[in-house]
Amino acid sequence: MTVANDTIPTGGPTSLTEFTVRTIDVKRMYKMGAEEVHALRGVTVSINRGEYISIMGPSGSGKSTLFNMIGGLDKPSSGKVYIDEVDIAQLDSYELAWMRCHKIGYIFQTFNIIPVMTALENVMLPMIFAGLKTDEAQDKAAAILKRVDLGHRLMNKPQEMSGGQQQRVAIARAFANDPAIILADEPTGNLDLNTGKLIIELLRDLNKEKGVTIISATHDHKMLAVSDRIIWIRDGVVDKIQNRADLKIEEGTIQGAAGQELH
Amino acid sequence: MNTVQRQIVLPFSKAIEIAYKSIRLRLSRSLLVTSGIVLALAFLMSILTTDAITESMRTWASSNSSTASQRLLSLMKSNGLPTTAEEIRNDRIQTRWLVGLALLVAFVGILNAMLMSVTERFREIGTMKCLGALDGFIIKLFLIESFFQGIVGTVVGVIVGLSLSLLSQAVTYGAFAWVNFPAMKIVISAGACLVVGMTLTVAGAVYPAWQAARMQPIDAMRVET
Repeated sequence: MTVANDTIPTGGPTSLTEFTVRTIDVKRMYKMGAEEVHALRGVTVSINRGEYISIMGPSGSGKSTLFNMIGGLDKPSSGKVYIDEVDIAQLDSYELAWMRCHKIGYIFQTFNIIPVMTALENVMLPMIFAGLKTDEAQDKAAAILKRVDLGHRLMNKPQEMSGGQQQRVAIARAFANDPAIILADEPTGNLDLNTGKLIIELLRDLNKEKGVTIISATHDHKMLAVSDRIIWIRDGVVDKIQNRADLKIEEGTIQGAAGQELH
Repeated sequence: MNTVQRQIVLPFSKAIEIAYKSIRLRLSRSLLVTSGIVLALAFLMSILTTDAITESMRTWASSNSSTASQRLLSLMKSNGLPTTAEEIRNDRIQTRWLVGLALLVAFVGILNAMLMSVTERFREIGTMKCLGALDGFIIKLFLIESFFQGIVGTVVGVIVGLSLSLLSQAVTYGAFAWVNFPAMKIVISAGACLVVGMTLTVAGAVYPAWQAARMQPIDAMRVET
């Protein structure tokens, strides 16, 4: 077994560690045939440790691109992205994999549970990648699944579970290695109203309980209502950052940035 | 706090364990893929065997002039096999075409089966990368999985093709099929089939897996399957 345990100190000033994620003038350009598409045109945001953030914006606004940047799933064409004060552009594939394994937990709209594995095995997988022994991983995974109220479904395959249960398995899996950041991409997009509400409550509780930063791309009003801040993206730039206190939550609708009504 | 470590490389035994589990859990799916390999290899092997046996019977029959060999010659003739030098030359070319065709069937069949079975798992590959899997681990996983499938499929295919061909020769020519049995040639053919089958299976799985492993995880998950 090859274990490379050499740690590479990559630090910024310690006074900045209250931020889990910082982007500085991030630009992202794609080539589509001969055409250049500017998905992001210079985005600077700082996200505090333990914050619950929603990223909003119409499709094509660059929202997903920014979201992928923050999650270390995409690299900027120019500008800097710091996750826990580490410039992700400097990382090689081993370090990036370590980052994804230990620092970031991913939750997807389509759940993405490995279909042939049981709930328990799915939650164990990131722990195995982190090098945990099988029995250690088993105990830890069972405990996390119990925390998301799936203690009775450890041995079930995803196809034997409802959407809400699958998403809870995914949440348990995202928390497997005690990450600093949870990235949730439309986590309630494939769920009905009530199930979605329960998932949001669960995320909010875990956010408080573990002090983990939660960043989600969403259109869900219920999600916006529990967010500490909402970052609005439009045409590849930050349109507006709202604090929860500034949100005018009316019945069923939220008056968003630029006054457009969201349904 | 402000440190990034290098992701550990999982031991090979862990990859074998996960690959084995994955095959067992998708047993019906992997049996389907394996049966594709079996069919292609059985076709190739039976053509090679039949050709080798016909060839050796003809050599035996024309090298002596006993009544038995006369009987075999007339039997071969009545089965539509060539006897004159001219006809034999044409037949050789035909056989070569047939072997080429069998190779093509094996090539297309196996590559297609493996490509399909890996492509439908692109999303899974992307998910694994998000959870911290290294590219090398994913390639290892598919290498081992396809190696298992390849060895089972190829060996079964060779056995099936060989037995079917021997059976049909025995039914048609009776004891004549064994008089000058080309054992060495058949062993070489089986070896060649093994190499062809294993190479195609592993290459057919590892190439797309390598492609998927190199992709950004988000792109791998976006691929429509």
